[in-house]
Amino acid sequence: MPMKGRFPIRRTLQYLSQGDVIFKSSVKVMTVNYNTAGELSEGARKFVFFNIPQIQYKNPWVQIMLFRNMTPSPFLRFYLDTGEQVLVDVEDKTNKEITEHIKKILGKSKETLEKEERERKKLSHPATFGPKKYHLRECMCEIEGQVPCPAFVPLPKEMRGKYKAAMKNEA
Amino acid sequence: MSVPRGAVHAKWIVGKVIGTKMQKTAKVRVTRLVLDPYLLKFFNKRKTYFAHDPLQQCVVGDIVLLKALPERRSKHVKHELAEIVFKVGNVIDPITGKPCAGTRFLENQSDSENLTEADTTYLSEKLQELKVCSTDK
Repeated sequence: MPMKGRFPIRRTLQYLSQGDVIFKSSVKVMTVNYNTAGELSEGARKFVFFNIPQIQYKNPWVQIMLFRNMTPSPFLRFYLDTGEQVLVDVEDKTNKEITEHIKKILGKSKETLEKEERERKKLSHPATFGPKKYHLRECMCEIEGQVPCPAFVPLPKEMRGKYKAAMKNEA
Repeated sequence: MSVPRGAVHAKWIVGKVIGTKMQKTAKVRVTRLVLDPYLLKFFNKRKTYFAHDPLQQCVVGDIVLLKALPERRSKHVKHELAEIVFKVGNVIDPITGKPCAGTRFLENQSDSENLTEADTTYLSEKLQELKVCSTDK
């Protein structure tokens, strides 16, 4: 039973998370003006079809607006927090070139992303146990080589509390 | 914690004007792309904002950029008009700077170029008839 639609791979989480354009925090609005016909707009159309879902998935707080057939030339426009506007002409460019270009001018660099990743890792200590939301593992019994969970494999007599208490009482 | 601008989350937004019946206020519809959790497809979700427009220069159908005000102006108005991005009926292509409509430029047109030979002869004949001759009296 195949997925419905023209390129249904665009609607998979794996495809969406493969987007590598993550905008800097100063980018607030992205506007794409393109035309539905014409060779010059071909790259822009492919960009809207394939790459916009990836970008919006990675940047949920950036407002993206699409305008069709308003001007003869296709372009992208970014509105930054400082009031600055960045105009990107995408006439006669392929969608890959467009994504590379905006990644270079307004995307977070790899170093920034790695630094943020490290900061996030610092917050959680990997050697603690607890609920899955906050820790890696819930109990010591999950680790190979440790005593297995008594819910599945009964503990040997010597480790059980009632045996130990009985031995203490005897002595 | 100081809030230098925006008691509201959205600092800069782009939307379309849908109503100007209020005095010095524009009703703006803003669309954002929201992911449907089951279909995993993005759909436009609309929200209306009210923006302060002191000169009442917005017409219904304009695309405008709104800026968040430092504090709320009234119960609903939290933004003001920063600039009109595209004026309806008068769109200027930002790359060339020329007025355009749809996918064609408006500046290029000039009447004399589109006329054929037959048209020019017909028009010149008409012009001859219109010429007032002083001897006719």
